[in-house]
Amino acid sequence: MKKRYLALMLLLSTFLFGAKADSSIWGNNLLSNILEYDKEGSLHMGHYFTVIQSTYIQPMLLFVLIVIPLAFAAHYFIVGPKVFSHSGKSIMVFSLFKRINHALAAISFMVIIPTGIIMIFGDFFGGGAFVRFCKGAHAIASPLFMISVIPMLLTWMKRMIFSPKDDIRWLKIVGGYLSKEKKPIPAGMFNMGQKIYFWFVTLGGLVMIATSVILYLVDFELGIFTSMGLSQIDVLRISALTHNIIGIFIVAMFMVHIYMSVFAIKDAYKSMIDGTIPEEEVKILHSSYYKELQEKGEV
Amino acid sequence: MGEFARLNFYCDEHRCINCDGCSVACAEAHELPEYISRRKVITMNEGIENMEYSLSIACMHCTDAPCQQVCPVDCFYIRADGIVLHDKDKCIGCAYCLYACPFGAPQFPLDGAFGTKGVMDKCTMCAGGPEETNSHEERELYGQNRISEGKVPVCAAMCSTKALLVGDSAKISDIYRERILSKGHGAKTQPYGWDVAYGKKL
Amino acid sequence: MTNSLGDIQNAKAIIIFGANPAVNHPVGFQHFLKAQERNNAQMIVVDPVFTKTAAKADIYVRIRPGTDIAFMYGMLHLIFKNGWEDEDFINDRVYAMDDIKAEAAKWTPEKVSDVTGVPAEKLIQVTKLYASAGVGTLIWAMGLTQHSIGSSNTRLAPILQLALGNMGKEGGGTNILRGHDNVQGATDMGCLSDTLPGYYGLSEGSWKYFASSWGVDFEWLQGRFKSSEWMGKKGFTLARWWAGAINGKDGNDQIHNAGTGLKNLFVMGNGITSIAQQAKVKEGLDNLDMLVLCDPFVNEAAILTDKQDDVFILPAATQFETSGTVVATNRSVQWRTKVVDPLYESKTDQWIMFELAKRLGFYDEFTAGMKIKENKKDFTWPEDATDEIARIIKTIGLTGWTAKRVKSHTENWHMFDQISGRGYGKMKGEYYGLPWPCWTEKHSGSPVLYNTDRSVAEGGMGFRNRFGLEHDGTNLLAEDGSAPKDSFIEGGYPEINKDNIEKVLGITLTEDEKAKIGKNWKVDKSNIIVEKCMEKGLAPYGNAKARAKVWTFPDQIPMHREPLHSPRADLVKEFPSYEDKSNHFRVDTKYVSKQTEQEWVKDFPINLVTGRLVNMNGAGMENRASKYLAALSPEMFCQIHPDLAGKYGIRDKSMMWIHSPEGTKIKVKAKYSFSVSEDRIFIPFHFAGHFQGEDLTHKFPAGTAPYASGESANTVTNYGYDIVTQIPETKGGLCRIEYAKEEA
Repeated sequence: MKKRYLALMLLLSTFLFGAKADSSIWGNNLLSNILEYDKEGSLHMGHYFTVIQSTYIQPMLLFVLIVIPLAFAAHYFIVGPKVFSHSGKSIMVFSLFKRINHALAAISFMVIIPTGIIMIFGDFFGGGAFVRFCKGAHAIASPLFMISVIPMLLTWMKRMIFSPKDDIRWLKIVGGYLSKEKKPIPAGMFNMGQKIYFWFVTLGGLVMIATSVILYLVDFELGIFTSMGLSQIDVLRISALTHNIIGIFIVAMFMVHIYMSVFAIKDAYKSMIDGTIPEEEVKILHSSYYKELQEKGEV
Repeated sequence: MGEFARLNFYCDEHRCINCDGCSVACAEAHELPEYISRRKVITMNEGIENMEYSLSIACMHCTDAPCQQVCPVDCFYIRADGIVLHDKDKCIGCAYCLYACPFGAPQFPLDGAFGTKGVMDKCTMCAGGPEETNSHEERELYGQNRISEGKVPVCAAMCSTKALLVGDSAKISDIYRERILSKGHGAKTQPYGWDVAYGKKL
Repeated sequence: MTNSLGDIQNAKAIIIFGANPAVNHPVGFQHFLKAQERNNAQMIVVDPVFTKTAAKADIYVRIRPGTDIAFMYGMLHLIFKNGWEDEDFINDRVYAMDDIKAEAAKWTPEKVSDVTGVPAEKLIQVTKLYASAGVGTLIWAMGLTQHSIGSSNTRLAPILQLALGNMGKEGGGTNILRGHDNVQGATDMGCLSDTLPGYYGLSEGSWKYFASSWGVDFEWLQGRFKSSEWMGKKGFTLARWWAGAINGKDGNDQIHNAGTGLKNLFVMGNGITSIAQQAKVKEGLDNLDMLVLCDPFVNEAAILTDKQDDVFILPAATQFETSGTVVATNRSVQWRTKVVDPLYESKTDQWIMFELAKRLGFYDEFTAGMKIKENKKDFTWPEDATDEIARIIKTIGLTGWTAKRVKSHTENWHMFDQISGRGYGKMKGEYYGLPWPCWTEKHSGSPVLYNTDRSVAEGGMGFRNRFGLEHDGTNLLAEDGSAPKDSFIEGGYPEINKDNIEKVLGITLTEDEKAKIGKNWKVDKSNIIVEKCMEKGLAPYGNAKARAKVWTFPDQIPMHREPLHSPRADLVKEFPSYEDKSNHFRVDTKYVSKQTEQEWVKDFPINLVTGRLVNMNGAGMENRASKYLAALSPEMFCQIHPDLAGKYGIRDKSMMWIHSPEGTKIKVKAKYSFSVSEDRIFIPFHFAGHFQGEDLTHKFPAGTAPYASGESANTVTNYGYDIVTQIPETKGGLCRIEYAKEEA
């Protein structure tokens, strides 16, 4: 089965590009694509892609890259970080499997996100070999994310389910990050912020993967799109726009994630290295989870 | 060519017979890899009486070239005569130009790392690229630079029925207008024999 | 071609039978399009397949393969019925049109519709349009000729033009599109087994004329043959040489070749896969003692045969590596200049032939003719060869084609009008390429054959007087008032010979002239007859009527006969083929016995049509060796209507088998197409390298395999040969198809 699948993929990949007579972009569909372009009744995707890509994507990302760090700086200097002692008792929260899983995803993000940003600002970097290298790295790192996102989704899904009791309260107080006080915050093993990030990155990540595969393969034909009346070129246009817009959101989210784990909660990132969280930190930031552990008698 | 001349392609669909002379001439002249076809001929309604027609298509060198607008590395440039060219040294092969292009003109070889798209290739209207004109580098990257030698692009030069016209848009419309206006006015010939038009002493 | 490609622009109507110039002559096709554009010419395409030419037509007629005669008689029926014929033209310049009229009377539109599958209304529409549009040109190519009745087809088409008075007119004529570079030249030079160069035939007189013109002894020439009688016999043809090699074994057709089979085959630039019945070709190759193939690329005969020894592949140079003359489809000549010296180890054709002649011991005789004109010790190739041709070939008037003149035309091609071919400036008084007949070294050439509106000096002429002065009591010479312009004689006159020259021309020859003059205009080395004729404005070959009836042919007037493999069993009974013909170009050839061997249509219900692709020609050897051309059609395919394919469970792009009545089969890729109707399939004939499902490309010498290979269409083309010329019936066969399972 695997062999067949591989053979099929290899076979497919040899026929992916170039102007074959039956190419779905350069082949017989070419003329209808041309005639469709910006015609009344068409999706106008060519036009939307051109306008959005040329005028909005760069400013959007630029906005994210400037405003979010500014906000963090303000928070850091005004509210300041939450510090929990790592020398005291710690609770083992993340199994080795989960940590490796997270590490894989983290490494892929470390590559994918900066290279993605560089590509969007390709003109700033002058294009050429460097940006081309980034594009290669972007593509090579993505399988890493692909293989980490599914187990991540499966193993953490249960804990990420929305629990109205805590999560709405958490949202109301913005996780307590606007106050310097250390009082228990309503949250389970993961708080609402983490949950939002999780769902965004996994589900959004799946969309990113799907669109990236489409953009990577370029020239193929999928019955499902055809049956929806989508031409391949429009599928590509939609994919590129989706990829870039969701990508920008993920960049924003990722920045929050980093800020939280490194600065906002001092040294919180270490939990993803040794798997433990200081008991105090759990007690305060994940009060419901702490109670749960207490009930189980694990603390 | 006037001061504001813009070079364009036009394919007369009455004349085009889908002989693929243009695309083969292009591939041959620029020594393109087989999977790249800068120009191709498309036939609509093939085999259907009174409905079949063909057109030769390549980069149309748009005035408001959308490819140039979306390119993340700004590798496109439009010459004063309207020819849209790109810099292969800058291009990263992201294919955004393809998504923006109404004509499906940009093509990508499969030579990047792990089968990623290589740098884009498209019709240059036989005008080469940013490298030094007629240099070896230009030839390797973009193919022949016939425009610099004052020649017509090879596709139009080779077109067997002169369906594919290229040049200053005003000139093209003149040629096409002449074709339309001369309809039914008889063959454009000198009569046979030598005692009619020439040969009589004035 | 009586006129020229450029002249088609003068036509008011264009009717095309079995030709696809948009694909086969893309550059020439611009004249058709310009005729439509500038002249409002109506283009009618009669073809079994909706071709690229048909896509440009004003009217497309889908005809059943092999029924052109019925269609043309249908047109003639309506022409005579409605009085659209050119009565004066017929009366003055045509013999036996009444016989045609009588036959045409039988072909009512309804009958034609039944036989051809063309609706009666369409026939009426086409005929009315073509007959009333003004001068119309009639085009044909292999679609008309490659039938068992091909020779009749090619007779009836000109008869149609004669009836309408379209012959000898600008924008008219019968224009046969030659399929390859220099086919006209090759034909003129007698690359045929039944004639000497210049259509001189094989009579002893002709041999003697050539022997003396070549500067060799007639007896020596005769001695080269097994015995003197074989000198006058037709040889094998390209279509059936293999029968000679098989020599009647295993129930194959018997041959008449002095008791021996063909032992050696020497092939120069002919794609063996362009010959029908590929399985027989293979059998023939296998039976040879020796096979020599001279081609720029490996001739696929080399991999088709199982023969292991004595197969020689000689690397021949291309046209770009040598120079000489080429003759275009409109009978005009051009000089081709060498671009580069032969590459690598390749050698020019003439080098190969000279070396062969040396080793066979007749090099001196072989080259003697080139030295005669200037009595030289040695010759210069190709100029002296060109001058030799000009010196000898009088039948078609090549006298004016000296190397010097031909070169000056090619070098000054910009000084000629593109449509009329008329020269100006220093080329004034000459037509481009001196289309033959070019009677003298000063003659202008004749761009439009049989044109009487022009003087002979400017290329005018009547029809040739070749078959006597009368037949069955009817005058065969043209009637009064139909002589070319500025003619000394108003009406018809016989071909000019030594005996009648003084009388016909009204002149007296000097004793010196009398001593020098040849027996007749065709063998008059002095050219005095022609010169005298020019002075009087006469064509040396006379001014006669065109024959609608050939009393020496199996069918005196063209008759419809069903193809040997006809999809209409009922019509086979009504229009049976010919009696079997013994010793037809040395091979016994089956007609009616093959046709009635079984009811073919029961097992083979689908019509098989072959044709060309725009990116290839002939067997496709050199085209498939070009990566860009091969990329346009990388594999062999079959155009099939989706409805027909559906009946057999054949999907688009799936593989299918095509079986022929001869028991052979090919495996090709199905390509859904609306160009073909549901009762026929179309396959291109440019592929080779696979044979009956087996890939033979591993047999190519290393590095010589082309970019594309596939089954040869001719593996499944049917048995069937023309009754006169023996051209194979590739355009009207039958086949059976089935879905081919993909092996994993």
